[in-house]
Parts: sequence; C-alpha cells; structure tokens
Amino acid sequence: MLRGDPARDGLIGRGLLTTLCVLTLGAGAGRAHADALDGVLEVRSAYVNIDHGVFLLHARVEYPQGPAIRKALRDGITLDFDLEVRIERERRLWFNANIVELTLHRQLSYHAVSDRYVVRDVRSGDQDTFATLDEALETLGKVDGWPILVEPQLDGGNYTISVRAGVRRGELPASLRALMFWTDDWARQSEWYTWSLPV
Amino acid sequence: MNPRGQRRVRLNAVALSVFWGITAIGAFLLLAKSTQNSGEFARLQWWIVVLNACAALVLTVLVARKLWRLVRDYRAHVPGSRLTARTVGIFGALVIAPLLIVYLSSLEFLNRGIDSWFTVEVKQGLNDAVVLSRAALDLRMREYSQRTQALARELAAGPPAAVQARLDGERRAGDALEIALFGARGRIVAASLENPLEALPAQPPQDLVRQIAQRLPYVSLEPQAGGRYLIRTAAPLDGSSASHDPRFVVAIYPVPAQLAALSEAVQGTYSQYGNLAAMREPLKYSFSLTLTLVLLLAMLAAIYGAIFSAQRLVRPVQDLIEGTRAVGKGDFATRLRLPSRDEMGFLVHSFNDMTKRLRRARAEAQSSQEAVERERERLAIILARLSTGVLAIDRHMTVRIANQAAGAILGTELAAATGRPLPELAAGNERLGQFVGALAVRFAAGREEWREQLDLDGTAGRRTLMCACTPLPGEDRDMGFVIVFDDITALLAAQRDAAWGEVARRLAHEIKNPLTPIQLSAERLRRRLLAGMSAQDAEILERGTRTIVQQVETMQQMVNAFSEYARAPEMQVTRFSLNQLVTEVADLYRSHSPRTRIRLELDPRLEGIEADRGRVRQILNNLVTNALEALEGVPQPALEIATALDSSGESEYASVTVCDNGPGFQRELLGRVFDPYVTSKPKGTGLGLAIVKKIVEEHGGRIDADNRPEGGARVRVVLPVTDSTRTAGARERRDQLRRERA
Repeated sequence: MLRGDPARDGLIGRGLLTTLCVLTLGAGAGRAHADALDGVLEVRSAYVNIDHGVFLLHARVEYPQGPAIRKALRDGITLDFDLEVRIERERRLWFNANIVELTLHRQLSYHAVSDRYVVRDVRSGDQDTFATLDEALETLGKVDGWPILVEPQLDGGNYTISVRAGVRRGELPASLRALMFWTDDWARQSEWYTWSLPV
Repeated sequence: MNPRGQRRVRLNAVALSVFWGITAIGAFLLLAKSTQNSGEFARLQWWIVVLNACAALVLTVLVARKLWRLVRDYRAHVPGSRLTARTVGIFGALVIAPLLIVYLSSLEFLNRGIDSWFTVEVKQGLNDAVVLSRAALDLRMREYSQRTQALARELAAGPPAAVQARLDGERRAGDALEIALFGARGRIVAASLENPLEALPAQPPQDLVRQIAQRLPYVSLEPQAGGRYLIRTAAPLDGSSASHDPRFVVAIYPVPAQLAALSEAVQGTYSQYGNLAAMREPLKYSFSLTLTLVLLLAMLAAIYGAIFSAQRLVRPVQDLIEGTRAVGKGDFATRLRLPSRDEMGFLVHSFNDMTKRLRRARAEAQSSQEAVERERERLAIILARLSTGVLAIDRHMTVRIANQAAGAILGTELAAATGRPLPELAAGNERLGQFVGALAVRFAAGREEWREQLDLDGTAGRRTLMCACTPLPGEDRDMGFVIVFDDITALLAAQRDAAWGEVARRLAHEIKNPLTPIQLSAERLRRRLLAGMSAQDAEILERGTRTIVQQVETMQQMVNAFSEYARAPEMQVTRFSLNQLVTEVADLYRSHSPRTRIRLELDPRLEGIEADRGRVRQILNNLVTNALEALEGVPQPALEIATALDSSGESEYASVTVCDNGPGFQRELLGRVFDPYVTSKPKGTGLGLAIVKKIVEEHGGRIDADNRPEGGARVRVVLPVTDSTRTAGARERRDQLRRERA
C-alpha cells in the first residue's frame, strides 16, 4: 500500500522543497549583488524663470557617490546622468495632458590617459574635464538655465512641472542590455520633484 | 466522466492553449522589438516581465492544482491514481533528467565562456598601454610646464610693459594656443591668443586656481571633444618664493594629432573593455537566472504534460474500474464511452457488450422470477380460498406452508406460524395435539404416503378429518410432507341425517299403515268373542286386546314422532320479535315447572328476525323441554335463556343460548347429540334435539352443544336475522354439502 508510505511521502516532500529552494534562491539572487548606486539620489531643488518668453530650468541634484562608483569609473565604465523634465496641463475629468517631455542626457567617464573625469553632453557633444569625481558630480548636480519651454506652448490653465534624475550604466549594447534584464543594479531614478508652473 | 465534464475539460484545454499561444507570441514580439534599441527595451521590459510572470504563474497554479489533486486521489485510493502517479513519475524522470543535465552543462559552459572573455592578460595589457600613453604625454607636459615656469619667472623679473610682447613671443615660440596672465581674483592682465577672434582666454579651472593659490606650478592633460588633447600649464609669477604677487600665467598647448589619436585609441579601448568587464558578473548571473527560469518553466511544463498525458491514458482504465464497481453493485445500465479504436477501445467495447448481456440476462431472470411470484401468489390465493386444509411440514414437523382452512379446521392460527414446529403450536390445543400425535405415530412407523380418517375429540365435540399425506417431491429428502385434510364431520352428520330421515319416512309409511288394521282387528276380536267366553277367558281376552290397542297407540305416537322428524313443511316466514317469543315460552314453562328458576338475558338490540315463528317456537319448546327433563332430580334446578345479536361481515345473526345446571352431555355422546335416538334419558325418544337441528338447518342457521366448565349443558342456536341471509346461508350450506359429497 502506497498510502502513508514515509519513503514516498519524503520523496515528494524533498522534491517540493528543492523547487522552493530554487525559486527562493532565484528571487534572492537579485539582492545578492550590492547596490552599486547606494546613496542619496534626489532633486534637492528646482525652479524655472522666464527670460524673454523662454522658461529656463534651474535644478540642484544630489547624485550618489562612493567608492563603488569611483572604482567602477576608474575601471572604465560610463555612467549616464539623465535629468527628465515633464510639463503637464491639468485636466479635471481626464488624465493630465503632456505638454513637454525632455531629457538632459549627460555622461560621466574616467579618462585613464589624462587621469581626469569627463562630463559630456550627449546631445551637443560638449564636454568638460575635472580632476576629481566630486567636482564632476557637483557640476552634474547643477543645471542652470536649461530652456525647456516657450510661452506660446501654453494656452491657459494650470500646469505642473516635474523633474526627475536618474543614473544608469551607459554605453551598453542593446543585446547585452536585454540579457542584463534581471540584474541591472546600475540603474536608479529619483522621485519626481513636482511643482506648479508659474504662468 | 460525464459528457458535461468532458466538454468542460476540452474547453479548459482550448482556453489554456490560446492563452499560452498569445502569451508566447506577445512575449516574443516584445522581446524582438525591445532588443532593437535600449530605449524601447526600457519601455517594454516590464510588459515582458508581466507576460512571462503571468504565464509562469498560470503554469505553476495549474501544475500545483494537478499535483494536489493527484496526491489527494492517491491518498484516497481513487481508482487509477496509483497508475497516474507512477506514469507521472516515469514521464517526469524521463524529461527532467535530460533537462537537468543540459541545464548544468549550459551553466558551466556559460560561466567559463564569459570568464574567458575577460582575462587578466588583456586587462594588464590595457593598463600598460595607458601607462605608456601617459609616459609619452608626461614628457610633453613636463616640457610645457617648465616653459611656463620659465615664462613666469621672466614676467616676474621683467617690466610690466613688456608683458604682452613676451606672451606673444612665447606663444609663437612654443606653438601654444593661448597664454594669459591672470591677476588677483582671476583678473586677466594680459593674454596672447592664437585665434584673434576669441576675445577672452578660457577661465582657469578650479583645481588650477587651488594649486596656484598654494604657489605651486600646475599642469594637466585635458581631453577634448573630437579626440583632441590640450595641455594646460600654469605657474605663479614669484616662483617658489613666498612673496605676495597674486599673478600667475596660464598656457594651453595642443598635443600633436598623432600622439592624441594613439592616446585616444588607448583610452577608447580601455573604456570599452571596462564597460564590458563590469558586465561580467551581471552577465553570468543573468544567464544563470534565465537558464534556471527556463529550466523551471520547462520542468513545470513537463510535469503538467506528464500529468495530462497520464490522466488521458488512465481515464479509460478509471472508467473501466468505475464501471466494474457499478456492475458489482448491480448497475448493469453502465455504458462507457469508447476512447479510441485501439486495444483500450476494444476492451471498453467488450465491457459494454458484457454489461449489455448481463442486463438482458437479469431482465430475463427478473421476468422469470416475477412469473414464479405470480404463480406463487395465485397458488396462495387458491390455497386461501380452499375449504380443504393444506399443511406442508418438514421432517421435523416444522410448518412451511399452511392455509387458513387448515388453521380453522385444527382450531389454531397456522397461516402465520410458518417456521414454527407443530408440537410447539399444539400446546394448549387438544385437537391439534391429537392431530400432531397421529402424524407422529405414522411418521415414526415410516409411513410417508397414506390416506386415512382421523377422529379428533375436543371440548367442542368430535371432529372427523379425512387426511391424506404425501411426501414432497425433490432430491432433498428433507423436503417434508404435504398433508391435505377435510373436516368431514358435517358431511358425516348430513349423511346420518339423511339416513335417519329415510328411516323415519319408511317407518312412518311402513309401520303406521298396519297399525290401524291391527288395532281394529283387536277391537273386533274383543267385541265378537268377548260375549261368548267365560269370565276367565274374557278377562284374558280383554287384557290381551287392551294391551294390543295400547301398544299400537304407543307405536302410533312413535310413528307420528318419526313422521314429524321426516316432515319438511313449507316455511311460513314472518318477521317477529325473538325476545318476545322467548319470553312467552319461558312464561309457559315457568307455570308448568315452578321449581325451576328460569332466567332470561335478552339482547335489546335484537328487534326482530325473519323466520317461521311456529318452528322457532318448536325449537325453543324442544330445547327447554330437553333441559327441564335433564334437570329432574337436580336440587336447585336453574335454566338460563339468552339472546344476542351477532354480526359476521355484512350479515347479522340472532343467537339463542339455553344453559342448565344439570349433569350435562355425556362426553362420549357429545359429538352425536343431534343424531336421532341418541339420548341419555330413560324416557326420551331421542328425536328432540334432532328435530331442533333439522329446523335450524332449514333456517340456514347452525347449532352446537357442549358442556359448561362450571357444569351443565349448553346449546347454542344461531339463526340469520333476515330471510335473504337465511337463503344465502342455506345455499352455501347446500353447496358445501354438495362439495363434500363430491
């Protein structure tokens, strides 16, 4: 009689236990890697001013810094520092209308030959070099006079502007990025920093 | 499984297939689209995750549900569950073992392959290349730094008016892009630019300012967009002295294009390798995790497929087991669905054929049983209606079958005594006890088939049975006997009555006729001879003729009595009050026999009966006379006449019971008291009760006589109240008499 057979029940129990272990290990493995971007990542302050009908964004962002980032940069990886801005027009009965969605895309890398940190604006190609990482991050954290909107784009109503900063590993081939699907701990985003647009 | 259940399973399977198809195609399309650029990937990756998670979740739930049901059925010993579990185990092992092997080897191959991409030698080579590039550039940087320091010293020593010229000269001599002299707080004192369109020299960087503030020379290599390199040098004007001249000179020199290109190539390679090397562990982890998840999904799918296939294979077997159990419980209407045209289909077809034959056989058996049952019921009805007693017993005289007539004849309830031994039933029943004794004597003598007349005596009189015993046919000797018996007491009595009637008629006819001539002849002899005879002879003649005349008169009285007995006059039926008649008769005899206490107990419900009033009076006269004669010599003679109204079904009967406290009937005469010439009295003719019985039977009634337990005789006459009942009763009696005679 198989009912109540301890050996058979034990076998089933061990099989279930193994499956559970595999699932648990798989889920826990994502946390096994230390988060390389530990630290504060937030938009400290942001505001806009209007200069001749152009809305200029000024923001102060604190990016995480630490030995892991320094070492990774010195080992040759490139980090993307993105600052996203989104302007929406509020609607009472429906979702807000998206007026503007822009990203200030910059890259930070370590130039081994010159022993300097390079900050490059991806869109314009302009770059600055810095002797220390702190200086480079300080520069990245200061955004002044970034034109984001012109007055004709506004047609009344209430507008909200949201700013969010992000850091991620750059210079990654798309095919490899697909494989990095599970474990890309080199990607973080701050909370949205939102306020009403002074119109 | 019923058709509705099968339809539901098919619908579930189709729904699951559609879901899986949509999920797989959706995930594949999303993955293909996302790998084309990283932006798409970032946007679509969670959709891919959600789709795959849904699929995996659904699969996990399905497998868990199947496994749980399998374990539950296994523990509950559901038919087919063991076979299913075994098949699932074998299928699962066959699929999972290769999957695990492929999984482990793939994991090992991937880890080793990825590790081989990032060897230590490559990393070291790149570092060496970087160091080499730096060394080449450091040479230039030192040279330019020394030039700048020399220029600073010259400017510090020279007159301020010659500063611009010196800067221009130095810029041209050293191929610098620009040389500028800065004063306190970064104020530009003088500058020489290669490009005259540029109005101002570049602002010195912060690290330069910090170093100059410490009165130290500065030199840095600054990579520029487009692969160019600049060497920026700076030096305070007072050199290493600790004076307070805040001025410093800054010069920017270009790196030769060839050297810059080589350095940029080294830097590019270094950066590219760094980016890739940083992905080594994540790549390994991602590959491992992806492979593990694929393995899990494949294992789940394999287990699900194994369970599904096993259940599909086992289902006909389960149906067969359930069908067999149903047949075992007597449900022959079970028909199984043909699963296919293979061997299993043949087996199911054979099973269906078997149940069909069984159902037909059972129907035939049931039909036969019903026929037997009908025959048995018919026989029971016939037995119940028979006036002949039928009794079947086994060799231990245990009752097997008995009809109502048997019980009525033997004076006990035998129809409900099936299974009980006759001797036990005979306790307290004298008549049945004699019957059992007679049977026992014959069985003990080894007589199994006989036909005899049995006389059974009891308090109610003697009963004569015509009894026939036959062993029951059958192979088993314990089958027993069937005993058929008739109560022929009434028949015998009727025969005696008829015989006595004939005797009486003949006596009346043959004896009465000669009596008158004898009497006349005797009287003539006396008249003719008496005158001529002597006195002595005359006296002899007188005495002789007187004796002849007296005896002839006595004989005439006797013949008249016989004539009365044999006479059957036409009935004069009228309706009269029986109670009144009884009262009249009692009053008459009270005056004749004042010694005797005559007590009446009359039923007031008895209002009137339809009968021949004169003949009923004769019944009462005869009964009272008979009782009074029996009471002669009794110290305190008492006579009781009671009437009552009895109901038997729809018919009503009037009963008259005459009791006395005399000596009662002699026991040996008790069965024949109604026969003519049966009397215990010295003076009786023996025809009184015989005439009473005859009149009663002419009225369709019945009469019986017995002795009271407290002493004395008791005669009970029962007469129908209405004439229709009387005729029906008379008809029944005549029919019964005819049957008995037959």
